[in-house]
This record gives sequence, C-alpha cells and structure tokens, in this order.
Amino acid sequence: MKSRVSLTSFTLAAVLAATAASVTGAHAAEPVKGGTLIYLEQQTHTNLYPPAGGFYPNGGILNQITDKLTYQNPKTLEIEPWIAESWQVNADATEYTFKIRSNVSFSDGSPLDAAAVARNFDVFGLGDKALKYPVSEVVNNYDRSEVVDPQTVKFYFKKPSPGFLQGTSVIGSGLLSLKTLTLPFETLGDATKIVGSGPFLVESETLGKELNLKAREDYAWGPAKLEHQGRAYIDGISYIVTGEDSVRIGALLAGQADLIRQIQAYDEPQVESQDFRIYAASTRGVNNSIVFRPDNPLVADVKVRKALSLATNTKEIVSTLFSANYPVATSILASSAIGYADEAAKLGFDPEKAKALLDEAGYKPGADGIREKDGQKLVLTAYESLPQPQNRATLQLVAQQWGKVGVTLNVLAGDAGSRTVDDLDPLKTPVSPAMVGRADPDVLKSQYYPKNRDVLRQKGGPSDKVQSFVDPKLNGILETIATEPDREKRLKAAAEAQAYVLDQAYAIPIFEEPQVYAAAPYVNGLAFEAVGRPSFYSVWLDK
Amino acid sequence: MLKFVLARIGQAVLVLWAAFTLSFVLLQAMPGDAVLIKFLNPEYGLSPEQIAEIRADYAVDGSLFAQYAASLGNLLTGDFGYSVQAGVPVSAQLAVNLPATLTLASLGFATAVILAALLAFLSSFSAGSRLRDLIQSIPALFISIPVFWLGIMLIQIFSFRLKLVPVIHPGPWESLILPVLTLAVPISAPLAQILIRNLDEIETRSFVSVARAKGASRGRVLFRHVARNAVLPVLTIAGVLFGELLAGAVVTETVFGLSGIGSLTERAVSHQDLAVLQAVVIVSAAIFVAINLIVDLAYPFLDPRLKPRAGA
Repeated sequence: MKSRVSLTSFTLAAVLAATAASVTGAHAAEPVKGGTLIYLEQQTHTNLYPPAGGFYPNGGILNQITDKLTYQNPKTLEIEPWIAESWQVNADATEYTFKIRSNVSFSDGSPLDAAAVARNFDVFGLGDKALKYPVSEVVNNYDRSEVVDPQTVKFYFKKPSPGFLQGTSVIGSGLLSLKTLTLPFETLGDATKIVGSGPFLVESETLGKELNLKAREDYAWGPAKLEHQGRAYIDGISYIVTGEDSVRIGALLAGQADLIRQIQAYDEPQVESQDFRIYAASTRGVNNSIVFRPDNPLVADVKVRKALSLATNTKEIVSTLFSANYPVATSILASSAIGYADEAAKLGFDPEKAKALLDEAGYKPGADGIREKDGQKLVLTAYESLPQPQNRATLQLVAQQWGKVGVTLNVLAGDAGSRTVDDLDPLKTPVSPAMVGRADPDVLKSQYYPKNRDVLRQKGGPSDKVQSFVDPKLNGILETIATEPDREKRLKAAAEAQAYVLDQAYAIPIFEEPQVYAAAPYVNGLAFEAVGRPSFYSVWLDK
Repeated sequence: MLKFVLARIGQAVLVLWAAFTLSFVLLQAMPGDAVLIKFLNPEYGLSPEQIAEIRADYAVDGSLFAQYAASLGNLLTGDFGYSVQAGVPVSAQLAVNLPATLTLASLGFATAVILAALLAFLSSFSAGSRLRDLIQSIPALFISIPVFWLGIMLIQIFSFRLKLVPVIHPGPWESLILPVLTLAVPISAPLAQILIRNLDEIETRSFVSVARAKGASRGRVLFRHVARNAVLPVLTIAGVLFGELLAGAVVTETVFGLSGIGSLTERAVSHQDLAVLQAVVIVSAAIFVAINLIVDLAYPFLDPRLKPRAGA
C-alpha cells in the first residue's frame, strides 16, 4: 500500500517536472549548440541568383547563405543595420550612402567591402548582358555606384527611388562574392557555386534532391539589433526535397524530420493534435486575389466587375477551404503590410445587389440561366496558379458562387506553356489569380504597374495582345508610390491606390496568404523574415 | 551474325534520330517555351523590354531549322546544353539522375521477375487446387494497384508506423527497399500472367506427356522441359516492360523523393525545359534500343531454332 502511494506521488512529481520543463523549454531555456536541422522542402530550388529568391525554395536557401546590407525587423518592419552600419539618403531619394561594417568576409575568404557591395548592386540594378543576369525587381531607377573609400559606397539613381532602402534588406538583394558574380547565369542553379557571407555555407549538394549547409565558425556579423550574435547555434541544415505532402507530414510526425514547409490547411489539425507547432508566416504583401483584365469587353464595365466582387463570398471560401491562419482580406494589401488601409467597407457579399448591377450593365439571364448581352454570354476563364495554396479549389468555389448570379467561370489547369501564353491575352484569360509578397508599398507598383507584373494587362505591358486598356490614373498613383521620397505622402499614395483599385473593382482580394511551416516541438528560435521565408540563424534543437 | 548485329545497330541509330526529331517537333509545337516560362514568371518581375533582350540572348526566336541544327549539332558533340529552369548543365543533372534510375529500374525489374516466376511456378505446382485460382488472380490485383497509392501505403506502414526503414536520410540499401517493391509489383503482373499461360499451354503439349511417360519427376518436367519453352515470349515482353519501368519511375521517384530520370522529366516537362527533355528522350531511347537489342541477341541462345543459319 505504501509503495503504491509513493509511486503515485512519484508519477505526479514527474508529470509536474515535465510540465515545468516544457513551459521553460518554450521560453527561457539557454540555447543548446549543435545538431543538424532536417528541413523538408516541397520543391527543388531553381536558379539561385538572388533576385530569383522570391521562389520559396530559393529564398529558404539564400536567406541562410547570404547577408543583406540592411535588416528589416519582421515585427516593426523598420530597417535596421546589418552589413551596413549606417546610411544616409538625400532629400529626394536619388543618392544613398552606406557605411560598410569592417572585417566581414565571404565564405571563400574574400572581403565583403564597399567594392563588393558596389558590384553586387551594379548587377542587381543594371543586369549583366554578357553573363545573362536579369535586373532585380526591387532596384528601381538605378544609375551607378561609387566606391568612396574601402568601407563606404554610394549609389546614384536616375529618379527618386524611395523603396531602395527596404530593397537592400530583401532576399533578392543577398550579397554574393565577386567570384560568384563572374559565373554565367546558366550555372547559378548549382548551390555549391553560390558564395555568400551568411551564417551558413553550402557544404554539398545532390542536384534536385538534397542540399547540406554547415555553420560558419567565424560568423560575427549578424543583424546588429538581433539578440543572438556570433555563430549559428546548429551545426548545419539538411534540405531534402520531398514533394509528396503526406510523406512530409508523416516524416515529421514520425521523427524523421524537424521542420517542413507547405502544409495545406486541411492537414493542420493532424499536426497540431500531436503537439507539433504550426508557423503561419505572413507574406505581408498583396493579398491572394482574383484580378480582372478590363481589356476583355466582358469585364470592361466596372458594374460587371463590382457585381462579381459582390457575388464572391470570401468568408465562405476561407471557412470552407482554409483555416484561422488565412485571415479574410480587408484590402488588396495584407493588414500586416506597410501602407495597409482598411477598405472592408468597399468589399462584402451581397448577391442581390450583384444581380441588380448585372441587370443594370445589360446582362440579362438567358434561357440556360447564364447572363447574356447582345447574344454574348457572360462566360469567363481563369487558369489556376500552382504556387498558391489550394488555388484550384478556391477558383472552383468562386465559380460556384458566381454561378448563383448567372455568371460562368471556367477554371483551367493547363500546362505551363499554354498558361504563360494565354495569360498574356485578356480575351483568353479575363480573370486571373494573383498575389505577391514584399514588405514595402512598392509591392503595389510591382503588382499593378504595366512595366512590372502588370496583372491587369495594360497596353504597354509585356503582352502585345492588349487592344486599348490603360488606366493613367492608377499608373500615376503607382509612380508616386515608387518615387515619392516623403514617407507620409508615399503611404497616402499607397492608401489611395488600394481605394482606387477596389472602387474600380479591378481586384477581389480573398485572404491574406501565409506561408505555413510545421516544426517538431524541440525546434526553437525559428524566425521568419518580413515576407515569410525562414531564417535558421537562431534556431536551436532542444532534443 | 556480325551482319545481323550491324544491321540492328544501324536500325538503332535511326530510331534514336527519329526520337530526337519527333521530340523536337512536338516540343516546338507546344505553346510557349522554357525562356518565356522562366522569365515571365512573376518571381522575376521583369519588364517587357528586359524579357525581349533575354529572349534575344537565348536565341529562342530564331528559325526552327537553325534551332534544330544547333540542337542536333550539340548533341552529336556530346554537349547537352543547360537547363533553363534549374540553371545547371544538363550533363550534371544526368550524372546524378541516370545511375539512380538505372539502379532502381534494374532492381525493380529483377524483383518483378522473381515475383512473377514465384507466382507462375506456385500456380503450376498447385494445379487443380483452390490455391491455384487464388494465385492466378494475384496478377490482376497487382496490375490494378495504383503505384502512387502503393508507394504511400508502404511508406506509411513500414516507415512511419513500424519504423523499419526511414524515408528521410536512409542508408544506400534502405533507400531502395520500398521503392523497388513499389515498382516491382505492377511490373510483375503482366510477366506472371504470360508465364502462367505459357506454362499451362506447354504442359498440354505432347513432348511433355512423353517426358512424363518416361518417368521424369514433376519438377524435372517443369524446369527442364516446360520452363525453357515458356520463357521466350516473356523475354520479348520484358524488353517492352523495361520502358514502362522508366515511366513507373516518375511516380515512384516523386513519392519517395528520390532523384532520378523520372522526377527530372516531370520537372522538365512542366517547364518545357527543352535541353533537358531532349537529353532525356535520347538517353531513354538509347537504353530502350539497347535492351531490345540485347533481347534479340539473347533469343538464339535460348532457342537454337532462332540461330541465323550460316550464309542466310
């Protein structure tokens, strides 16, 4: 009898101790050094030229092996010192001077000094024709660089470029060794050739399958305001490409992996029920949306677009297909993005009003229930976007919702070639899914400006199929965002752009898109940069 | 014999050229191209002028004939070019992926043959019993199992539940056990069906009755007399099935996350990576042709009647 009592109390004590340990484990425990993080990626990386870092698998690698001039604090979105100790910007944002931290080196031993930084941005800003390097999306109006002294570099711009400072903090501006920048673009898909100054360096790679990084012992130049300084805690990272969703999740839960990327909303409960952690990192940019190509006569009338926006029940989409990690959109920008303005009043679900607007626009229900005007049926087409989560299901649900007001939406899968070509033609794709992440108001210009992604397909953009559609007012606002040096005025322009796009019903924002990761309970210190790419610098394993 | 071999090799070269040309034409006929798909991708956010410049650099808008000639010329000099999507030389991709797939396919095939032979002989030995019906229905079951499902089930059961073999960071042999099994099951089915039918048919031939009458044991009749005659058509189908193995590898490699020609092809197809696809077509065609050549050359050794007569 006595022994049973002591056994019970012993068990109780053990449970208490375990609880206490797990509580402290989550917060205050001293980071443990050592161990290799096993990270399962869904897709193989492609070309690792930093401006191509927007592709998640690329960003997940580049963010560990390269450093940036500046660090964008993912909580405050403020720009903080990193490789640049300090900087000055002239009043009209055409000249930027950066003071470079001393004693920083690339992993091939060469110095990361003003000359190296200058060459990097010459390449990102102007491209390199001989080596086939394309220019970077985040460096606008770049003119030239000047090495003032070994630790000071100055950049000149042809026009004001207020987004440049934030542009120096993104993965696409990761600094590479001068030697790497002499290699032809076509060979930069080999990770072992990418030499940066980051806390990890590439140790070995099996193309298309596995990539091993190891910690740099002499790393001493992390972002200045970060609590963790010096070498990374873990010894290395093993990236393994595991395309099949169920295998990634199964391997994580079975203890064969520590961290996985890309968990669909319907798999989240399975992971959470076993004490594993879900990380839904916001991408802080333009929301997952449906955009219209007004060059197509069917959606040229703002009343039709407005009606389709009112016919879209975003709450139903999120509650049916997604989870709490996918907040319903309240503007075309995510609520955590810089320059966000709450435009929820312009959005909403009202099928009756939608029907009335379609009637007004002259589209009357035909014999088969599909609305038509002058014999032209309101039948629209969209291609699914593979990188977006459950995009096909999303579009199909939208198609059902639009069907209730008498509009048909055909959702096509299609091969990459057909999709790319048809997507340029507003007559073939009057509707398209769209999203992009970047924590700067410039992201609005990236998405809508004809010389950038041109999601609305304006005349003067990459498509030669566009007949006449162009919106000078929108483009004017976007140019202000990209060139206005005054921060307040710039944010005002960003708010104006959001209101205007929704007034014109060019886009139907659906939800704020996160990047979802799942980690084993013993993975600590996992951080994400401002647009949801992981940083493993401060990760430690409490195994 | 030499003349026969030379003629077959000539044929093989012709087949390879035809495969190359046909794949070139088909890939060109598809809308879009690798450069467009890669650089129009919003990840790059390039302007129309920049894309036009890149297209000029890659010479993708030149005449079809010039592109064909350049591509064929490069191939003949052993230069497979670069993968536009992955940004590495195609030869580097082949060096990683080809040995992996060949190992997987060969082991898968060997396992399939063993499985098929096991089923066929079991069926032959159990003639007249209920067991026989059961065994004979197994190939139909095997061929109807989707490879994708089988792979996932094997992983779930043997790796995640029973924890016998890890899928992530397995040893060199551990990494092959489940994929080989996955690949072998559907391939073994047609082999087993043909073998079973042949064994049954040959059992009824008169020379078998003679052998039996002379007092040969059941086993001796089966292995010495029946099996040797039954194996020939199986060999023919085996050559064709090996090609199917390469196709089956696409699914297996994707499910198990293995590197190989299958997963390489899958990626290249979705991005219209011309250089990679042409290399894959040529290499697969070469393997296919080589295997069928070996099969043809092996016939005379199994069946003396097929030996080319001197002077013929």
